Amino acid sequence: MAIPVHTDQKMIEIDQVEKSFGSHRVLKGISFHVRAGERLGLIGPSGCGKSTLLKLITHLLEPDRGTVTVNSPEVGLVFQGSALLNSLTVRENLALALRRRKLSKKDEESIIQEKLSFVGLSDFLNAYPTQLSGGQQKRTSFARAIVNDPKIILYDEPTTGLDPVMSTIIEDYMIKLGEESNAAAIIVTHQYSTWTRTAERVLLMHDGGAVWEGTPEEALKTDNPFMRQFAHGYKEGPMLEGLI
Amino acid sequence: MVFPATSCQFAISSRLGIFCPLAYGESTTSNPFCSKIVGMDSTGSPKRPNLLNHLLLPLNVIEDQFGRGVVLVGQVIIIWFKAIACMLTGRIDWREAFRQCYLIGNQSFIIVSLTALFVGFAMSLQISRELVAFGGDTAIGGVVSLALVREMGPITAGVMLAGRVGSAIAAELTTMMITEQIDALKVMRVDPIEFLVVPRYIAGLLMMPVLSIYAMTVGLVASIWISMIAANLPPATFLDSVKQTILDRDFGVHFTKAIINATLVIMFSCAVGLNTRGGAEDVGLATTRAIVWVMTSIFIFNYVVTSLTYAPR
Ligand SMILES: Nc1ncnc2c1ncn2[C@@H]1O[C@H](COP(=O)(O)OP(=O)(O)OP(=O)(O)O)[C@@H](O)[C@H]1O
Ligand SMILES: [Mg+2]
Repeated sequence: MAIPVHTDQKMIEIDQVEKSFGSHRVLKGISFHVRAGERLGLIGPSGCGKSTLLKLITHLLEPDRGTVTVNSPEVGLVFQGSALLNSLTVRENLALALRRRKLSKKDEESIIQEKLSFVGLSDFLNAYPTQLSGGQQKRTSFARAIVNDPKIILYDEPTTGLDPVMSTIIEDYMIKLGEESNAAAIIVTHQYSTWTRTAERVLLMHDGGAVWEGTPEEALKTDNPFMRQFAHGYKEGPMLEGLI
Repeated sequence: MVFPATSCQFAISSRLGIFCPLAYGESTTSNPFCSKIVGMDSTGSPKRPNLLNHLLLPLNVIEDQFGRGVVLVGQVIIIWFKAIACMLTGRIDWREAFRQCYLIGNQSFIIVSLTALFVGFAMSLQISRELVAFGGDTAIGGVVSLALVREMGPITAGVMLAGRVGSAIAAELTTMMITEQIDALKVMRVDPIEFLVVPRYIAGLLMMPVLSIYAMTVGLVASIWISMIAANLPPATFLDSVKQTILDRDFGVHFTKAIINATLVIMFSCAVGLNTRGGAEDVGLATTRAIVWVMTSIFIFNYVVTSLTYAPR
């Protein structure tokens, strides 16, 4: 009998991380962690440093101060703009991620088939990214991110710009994948339905730090002025103060 | 170099196209968005900066450009070393390299033919004219071929490759950088140098000598034709003169220059591409920057090789 293993292992640990670009301080000492099998929704106003945080976790950037601990050699990242290689077909994009494992052609092909059918794109094996719609590109990017069965998956706005049906489909993939693989996930999103449906825990970022943390249900009821404003989209509140 | 803060502010802000009131030393308001009012005189045109600022402005620009240039040269050297290390350890994607060979050949074949043809025309017209006046018809072939083999062949092919291939590489890699494709490669732990730079470099190393020799040949044929028409010189006489003048060493130098040009074109355009961040408008800027650097360095290195091999002793 298969029992889902819910270890308490912290897969991602962010501790007092600071990051600046020139004189612009983006992250000002943020701390949180994500455990195995957990899906954390990361929300916050545009430009607050969510994508920057994901780049720190994937070591595309290094923190100025603080530590980023990642307990998995394999990390999958679904990019905000898909970031598929335009000169390669869908198959070749996935094969590129598999390249360093030096698998036999047959094994490689079966993994690619399996991941593409997971996102419902088996018919687009030989299409180029420019021939795909935005939603199909997102799903290809999704398949590419999970091709090596990572134990950590980072989603940067996986449903932004998609129609509600496609959003729901992608949300379902994220939930299904979390249940099947027991991977830790961070879901960065602006879309209300996405974080309420997929996240087990939500972290609200503001001005380079975390200002609220809790479950999606709590998020809708809390008195925290930041979360209240963000969850309901009020114009009045502490967020964006002085900008409106 | 230390300059007064105000002149620096003015130099930087004026280059960014931002009007900076502080640079004029007469800020009367704390609101930074009021520069339009503060910095304008009654006619609405910007007030002139004081004389010192004005005199120091070119220096600031030079200092800034020089600094960026040094950084780029450093990036080129790093990328070149990494590419060489990849090649020495056999991490070469030959399929992609041959695809790039095809692209380079395909992209530059016609343009190299055309430019080499007209370089040959112009050169032999000038040289025949002068030599005929001195009665030195039989030396025309020698002089023309010397110029073509030693200088014009490699330069023509190099400059054309820079314009056609270098710009394409810089634009492609910058676009990949901006659309996070390079970041995606790094997340997949695919080395961008191995995946993008090495195949292009190998293709450049293979194709550049071919294109240089081709340019030289086209130029030579053009010259034979023109000297036949303009100076009534039989092709056999022209070729005799060529055989007597050209040494084996000339081909060695020709080949060396081709290899250096390939390195300059590929490394500068890759370095610019892989180090540009920003938005769509930066693709154009990066392309221009790559071309300017590649062409300038081609001419400089051409002179260096010439002076090392042909300087009178
Ligand atoms: N490479 C960079 N160089 C300079 N500044 C950067 C760089 N990357 C990000 N920034 C700046 O850091 C800030 C945070 O950017 P980031 O992309 O992390 O925001 P975000 O929270 O993901 O926003 P959005 O929701 O719009 O995607 C922005 O102000 C951005 O201008
Ligand atoms: Mg973002």
